[in-house]
Amino acid sequence: MSDSSQVTVDKEELRSLIADALELPVKEIDDHTHLVEDLEVDSLMALEIVVNLEKRYGVKMEESDFKQVTSLAQVVDLVSAKLAASS
Amino acid sequence: MRTSLQGSWSLVLGVSSGFGRATARAVAAEGGNIVGVHFDTAEGQESATKLADDLHATGVRAHFFNLNAASPATRSEVVSQIAELTDGNGLRVLLHSLAFGSLMPFVPPTDASAGTETVSPRQMAMTVDVMAHSLVYWVQDLLAAGQLPSGAKIFAMTSAGSTRVLGDYGPVSAAKAALESHVRQLAVELAPRGIAVNALRAGTTLTPALRKIPGADRYAEASLGRNPHGRLTEPEDVAEIVTLLATPDSSWLTGNVIGVDGGESLTA
Repeated sequence: MSDSSQVTVDKEELRSLIADALELPVKEIDDHTHLVEDLEVDSLMALEIVVNLEKRYGVKMEESDFKQVTSLAQVVDLVSAKLAASS
Repeated sequence: MRTSLQGSWSLVLGVSSGFGRATARAVAAEGGNIVGVHFDTAEGQESATKLADDLHATGVRAHFFNLNAASPATRSEVVSQIAELTDGNGLRVLLHSLAFGSLMPFVPPTDASAGTETVSPRQMAMTVDVMAHSLVYWVQDLLAAGQLPSGAKIFAMTSAGSTRVLGDYGPVSAAKAALESHVRQLAVELAPRGIAVNALRAGTTLTPALRKIPGADRYAEASLGRNPHGRLTEPEDVAEIVTLLATPDSSWLTGNVIGVDGGESLTA
């Protein structure tokens, strides 16, 4: 990734990425909807989200990053932090 | 009659590690081409890419997909790719080696310090879907696309857990029992088509999947003590058997759970 084109995180794009991974309508994903407690996201669906994040944003996720995949807001923070660290 | 794997196509579900990876290498060593499905984050993706490069270096073709093998969208994409790659000749081998599930107790342990979390309906269903039912759905879709010709061999990786109890392995045990049942059912339904289906019950093998099981070290040590060969099973032990059993044109060896464990299950 060239340093002149900083990739920013578009929350709405992330919302639809998560909705797609969970096969849910976008309107089900509020910023703070808890993915595990409200939507019963299991470890396979979490992996689906994380692999799609890696493909879309060119970032590298660690095992420990999975625990931050709890809500859209948290995922926005996670991806932003990854992008900042890699730029 | 026997047919060599030279120029054939095999589909390996769970290609990036363990039995899947070893089998891909063994098939490629005999000139067989590989379609592989794995589902990994960046680190696993890198090792899968390296494996694909190694396979290419042997002169075979290898196409890997980093996708969830339990999803209908993945099956649809990969099956249509297979139809193109095999030029309509279909697969020789389908290996189901998917290890992804929840390792959780069914009830809270009496020792409360060990935690109180128990398996949820969702986790149970996911585990059995990925590790067992997905075999049936792949076979359905491959057959519908004409990619399982007479002579094709289907192998599913099972474990001693299908009949034995091991701590938090409960959901996976259920999946292995279901998987062996699916193997028998498919063997009977596919017999008229000349397609053989068998489960391979590997002995304890130090794969990444095993290492995730709580208490795996102790279990591996006990298995080592039981194994009359004086060592644990290696992924290559299983891969060699897959390539061997893939060569007969016959489908007479079918519907079995075949122990590939060096006799580990025989000793008390």
